[in-house]
Amino acid sequence: MLEVMELSKKYGKNLAADKVGFTVPDGKTGILLGPNGAGKSTVIKSIAGLLNYKGTVRIQGMDSRTQEAKRQFAYVPELPYMYEALTVREHLEFITRAYGVEVSREELLELLEIFELKDKQEKLGGELSKGMMQKVSICCALAIRPRVILLDEPMVGLDPGAIKELKAQLLKRRADGCTILISTHMLEMVKELWDVTFVMDKGKILGTYARESLGNEDLEELYFSVTGQQEGVGQRGQSGQENRAVESSGNGGPEGRER
Amino acid sequence: MGAVRYLYVRTFVNRVRKALRRPGTYVHLVILGFYIFALPFSLKMVTEQAGMDSPQGMAAVLTVYALWVIPANLIAYARRKGLVYRKSDVHFLFPSPVSPKSVLLYAHLKTLTLQLMLNLCVLVFGRMTFSVELWRLCLYFLFSVVVHNLLEGSIMMLLYGSEKLGERQRGMVVKATYGLAGLLVLMALYACLKEGFSWQMLKDFLHSDMVQLVPVAGWYGAVVHLLFTGPTTVNLICTGAYVLLLVVLAAAAWRMNCTGAYYEDAIKFSEDYEEILESRRQGSMGKRPGRRQKVRKAGVRWRGKGAAALFYRQLLEYKKSRFFIFDGGSLASAIAGVGLAWLPIGENSFVLPGASVYVIFIFTALTGKWRKELKSPYTYLIPDTAFRKLLFATAIQHVQGLVNACLFILPGAVAMGLAPDITLLCLLFFVLFSANKLYALAMAEAAGGSTLGRTGKQFLQMLFQSVAIMAAVAGAWAGFAAGGIRAAHVLMNVCLGLVTLIFMIIAMMNFYKMETA
Repeated sequence: MLEVMELSKKYGKNLAADKVGFTVPDGKTGILLGPNGAGKSTVIKSIAGLLNYKGTVRIQGMDSRTQEAKRQFAYVPELPYMYEALTVREHLEFITRAYGVEVSREELLELLEIFELKDKQEKLGGELSKGMMQKVSICCALAIRPRVILLDEPMVGLDPGAIKELKAQLLKRRADGCTILISTHMLEMVKELWDVTFVMDKGKILGTYARESLGNEDLEELYFSVTGQQEGVGQRGQSGQENRAVESSGNGGPEGRER
Repeated sequence: MGAVRYLYVRTFVNRVRKALRRPGTYVHLVILGFYIFALPFSLKMVTEQAGMDSPQGMAAVLTVYALWVIPANLIAYARRKGLVYRKSDVHFLFPSPVSPKSVLLYAHLKTLTLQLMLNLCVLVFGRMTFSVELWRLCLYFLFSVVVHNLLEGSIMMLLYGSEKLGERQRGMVVKATYGLAGLLVLMALYACLKEGFSWQMLKDFLHSDMVQLVPVAGWYGAVVHLLFTGPTTVNLICTGAYVLLLVVLAAAAWRMNCTGAYYEDAIKFSEDYEEILESRRQGSMGKRPGRRQKVRKAGVRWRGKGAAALFYRQLLEYKKSRFFIFDGGSLASAIAGVGLAWLPIGENSFVLPGASVYVIFIFTALTGKWRKELKSPYTYLIPDTAFRKLLFATAIQHVQGLVNACLFILPGAVAMGLAPDITLLCLLFFVLFSANKLYALAMAEAAGGSTLGRTGKQFLQMLFQSVAIMAAVAGAWAGFAAGGIRAAHVLMNVCLGLVTLIFMIIAMMNFYKMETA
């Protein structure tokens, strides 16, 4: 389970995240949506422990800054950066040592096979294309068998085959009880993955929506109506708050919409 | 093996393997070996002249090092700078359950290889230049690599990683360190005023008890004096203080709680650092860590079509930058020009072109904005000829060459009392040779493509320029034989100009398609 409570982050005078709160339970996939500059990256980086913030983040009930919590948690950043002098195989070896996870050679090979990296094992990080780097980043995250996975725009740079495999892997992990949080703009790509959506703008959570309560409504339609952006035009439309009763507090749970 | 140790060892092994596959590494090793063994002999003469070819001299040099480096490091750590993390560390290491203290040590130990090499050099220099006994040097090696590293690592951990010290307290450490440095300067000034500046006064100051009493940096000097010049009451007390400080700080660092609150500052510094590396790769040398480049408001009247846009875009960028087209190269040219005028160089007018060749061939970088154009696909999409693209992409570089020529040549020409036409010919030579280097670099880019590394391309460029130098020398000889000094200057410029034109035509290849760049 991932719990974010009253998370606030300031850059100088600019409040990038304002008392953000949400929960993604075990075995559920949460999607963090919002226009550019909404504060998604700040929230994601704060959860990953890369930024100092006010508030609380809990991973499986533990403070996210503790090493025990970090052992349960994997992070796939938006832009992958490899160690130039480590091979693909050494990246995996390093990450399993860092997380103290015993992973058999067969398991690692299977993961590399899934993402078509088996023949790239001995390539150095500096020799990989951006798409390959993203695949290695995903493999590293999956290799440590996390209980909570945080993915920031994970589909960017991936080929259709890798996107399909990533979705399959995420569905499998979810079925095993893993908590997943994805920040993305590619709404089409997460259609079949999501259980709960958190829509953010201007550093605040505008609303929390559970899949079962939305019925047939499309994620895209929901996004545009909540943020007030017009589909395809990019102009400010009718405010989402005028159409639906959306809770703007930071305590969104997955229970339902219009709470 | 722990994760951090695994990362450190594998990175080191793979880097060495990769380096051994590059021919340039062996060339570098030969040059390095030559310097390590040749430099101590040449320095021996200098130290003998200065009366510093003794263990006391070594102690004085290492005291200067301590007074310079230790306060600078303290300030860097207190400002949460100075530790270099790469973006890959931010991606993999920071979110992992590796202890944030280990992450700090990892960054500190990244410099260990360099430290070992420098300390080995100190061993060689100590033995060959300062005639220090080997056992004393070995003791110093152990002290520097093990003991001082422990102290510096503890200070780093406490200043950089501490979550109890707020920004205010760290700011106070910075101020205190500046205060200490100021105190040292005042002490040096006092000694200077009292005894008048001389080598002897400087040596006496560096060996003085009051310097050794200065906390941390001075105490390091005391240990060095104890090792190289023998015990005195003051250096024994200060060495004791150094050891006590080490024990206290190491224990405090060991017990300190650290959850990784420094990550945010470390990420900011790593981003700044990578930005600087990237901008240097692109040829811009003006960026400094943590400081945004100041950009002024400026406009430009766009004239011409096609490739002329490259020139006006560059001009606009230069107009927006703080120092316009002036950079470090201009400053260096001015200093070198004044220095040359000050030296007793006689009246031989060929001294100035000779010095120009030396300065441009060895020191001038000439990375500039033209190289950036080769990385941009838009350059190749502009519907214009490759010749015009090359011309407009490099035009401002030639203006810079002229500015540097004036700064470098004119002081010397005035001091030597050269005739105006000879001065003009010397200026033209500087500009032509700068252009020659630029096109030689571009030729090396085109010839080396993606198969040759940076070193290989540099060698190619030097080879090309050697041809140009030979052509200029041949022109000068022919001119001298035909009609004297004026003719020699004219023919030297003509020959250099012709070779440069040929280089320019070959360098055009870069602008045909991106693949050649």
